[in-house]
Amino acid sequence: MSDAVHELLVVKDLSTTFTTMGGPLPAVSDVSFTLARNETIGIVGESGSGKTVLSRTIMGLQPRTNVTVTGSVLLNGNEMVGATESFKRALWGTEVAMVFQDPMTSLNPVMRVGKQIDESLRVRLGMSKQDAKTRAIELLELVGIPSPAQRYMAYPGQLSGGMRQRVVIAIALAGSPKLLMADEPTTGLDVTIQAQILNLLDDLKDRLKMSVVLVTHDLGVVATRTSRIVVMYAGRIVEIGSTRDVFSRHRMPYTRALLDSSPKVSNASHTRLVAIPGRPPNLLQLSAGCSFAPRCSFATDKCHKERPELQAADEPGHAFACWNPLPTTMEQQS
Amino acid sequence: MSDSRQPLLKVRDLKVTFGKGRHEVSAVAGVSFDIYPGETLGLVGESGCGKSTTGKALMRIIEPSSGSIELEGSSLIGRKGKALRNFRTHMQMIFQDPISSLNPRRRVKDIVAEPLDCWKTVSGNERDVLVSDLLSKVGIDPKVYGNRYARQFSGGQCQRISIARSLAMRPKLLICDEMVSALDVSVQAQILNLLEDLKSEYGLTLLFIAHDLAVVKNVSDRVAVMYLGKICEIGPSDALYEAPAHPYTKFLLGAALEADPDSPMHNQVLEGEPPSPLNPPSGCRFRTRCPNATDKCASEEPQPQELAEGHFVSCHYPLTIQKK
Repeated sequence: MSDAVHELLVVKDLSTTFTTMGGPLPAVSDVSFTLARNETIGIVGESGSGKTVLSRTIMGLQPRTNVTVTGSVLLNGNEMVGATESFKRALWGTEVAMVFQDPMTSLNPVMRVGKQIDESLRVRLGMSKQDAKTRAIELLELVGIPSPAQRYMAYPGQLSGGMRQRVVIAIALAGSPKLLMADEPTTGLDVTIQAQILNLLDDLKDRLKMSVVLVTHDLGVVATRTSRIVVMYAGRIVEIGSTRDVFSRHRMPYTRALLDSSPKVSNASHTRLVAIPGRPPNLLQLSAGCSFAPRCSFATDKCHKERPELQAADEPGHAFACWNPLPTTMEQQS
Repeated sequence: MSDSRQPLLKVRDLKVTFGKGRHEVSAVAGVSFDIYPGETLGLVGESGCGKSTTGKALMRIIEPSSGSIELEGSSLIGRKGKALRNFRTHMQMIFQDPISSLNPRRRVKDIVAEPLDCWKTVSGNERDVLVSDLLSKVGIDPKVYGNRYARQFSGGQCQRISIARSLAMRPKLLICDEMVSALDVSVQAQILNLLEDLKSEYGLTLLFIAHDLAVVKNVSDRVAVMYLGKICEIGPSDALYEAPAHPYTKFLLGAALEADPDSPMHNQVLEGEPPSPLNPPSGCRFRTRCPNATDKCASEEPQPQELAEGHFVSCHYPLTIQKK
């Protein structure tokens, strides 16, 4: 893990705190993880868990004022925390690119989609107008848009949600980034279109040898498409591990609760869901203990008073933050 | 339908069109179904298939262009003014966005009391007791939260308040339009469980409109699948999910993501996007994306056929028959 050369992304002790009227708001606290080349990692959490702020901090997209970022983000050897705007701008597009949730608001509605792809090619790669157009049409074809030469001239409003998201992905791919950050790329899309877009991202990752950070609230999205998963709660990582470990050998009660509370197609109708009582904590008033303790059925006095740090589980690379972890499968059997 | 019970809601050939001339869009192109007392009918489909328009047309929030809607044998079509408003008290609707469907400047207890005040069914102390009771039923403490404003609540709590408001008139039918899609999974589970509890307590009948297949299956007794303004398959939810007969239903289920790393990777992804309802395909509306489509599908519109009791499919080549 210490060998930064082999890891594309090394996030260490990253904290993002916003200064608000109500006091400091720790949106992301002490987050550390690494991402290898050509790997997909999933960041999962409910709204307010800090997953979007984390992905934006990794990109260096935090606002200029009223925010304190500490820790380190090494992206292919480049430190993003504290870097100047011009330094970051040189990395955006070529080292790291982002696909945002809402394909309508992330595209300019009065600019032809082709021009929006060209822009990135001409500014980042210094291509000529003609070369940029050729490349943009290639990119549209790459992301599976039918008749790309005609679509090049279309306005975003003339395309469906799924097509727009493909255009956004094409823009992100224009500079051949090594890391693609996808923040809820399929939220708001229909299930059949969602499957198309996720398959496309998977396929592109392998073809272009990218790494992908897939940020989502939907455990179904990350289940079959990531090699590792980070589960976030109230700005902290509460469990991290290989996808299989997180799904079937999770130790953190929150991970279990999140899995149990989502309805499943394979369950019979009227199956009672195991709901998590209460709601996520107010980040302005975090307790000294575990943030999940007020909603946790295993919580003890210690959980309310002292915060658990991430500790290693039996499996390599699997860690969880809990004082009363769920038993391992071995312990369950005995 | 072969069911001997009398349906609570009977919808026949409901059509909703928007625009005129060449801009005419038939958002709902002839939909028929029944909802029986005490059951939940799930209505699923992708965006633009007309599921929300159907829900709104049932309440006549959007005026249907033709067809019939009958609640307990009396028609909703043709009613005007007070007769229509009176009728609507039997049907209530819960909307997708919990925050914008409540007035941010009103106190919670007044929001819940609004229908009671409109109809003056109860007043004074009785009204306050009823409001407190409704709020406690949905898990909001009326003593602590009753005087707060709607804007002070989270999405999940606002949805609870919406539910309390919709129950105030003791409706026979509750139309839930994507009521949990804006909520986080943990909160979504709370609301779905609450809905199931209230359904049995109040003897409610539900039309549950949503795009999430897992959510719909969880609450529904029967499920109707819509594609481009028409119902392509309707049947008991377990049977329909187990053995979908319409190719579209099969693709839709195949695209649903399970939170399970061992679930098979779905190689059979439905290609393309739904055609524009401005210019729907001839014959079967799904034929342009259907791998089994033949010439017959283009020339002849499939009519609903009953495969098993209560399980209807509109397809010339239903999947379950081919297997036999």
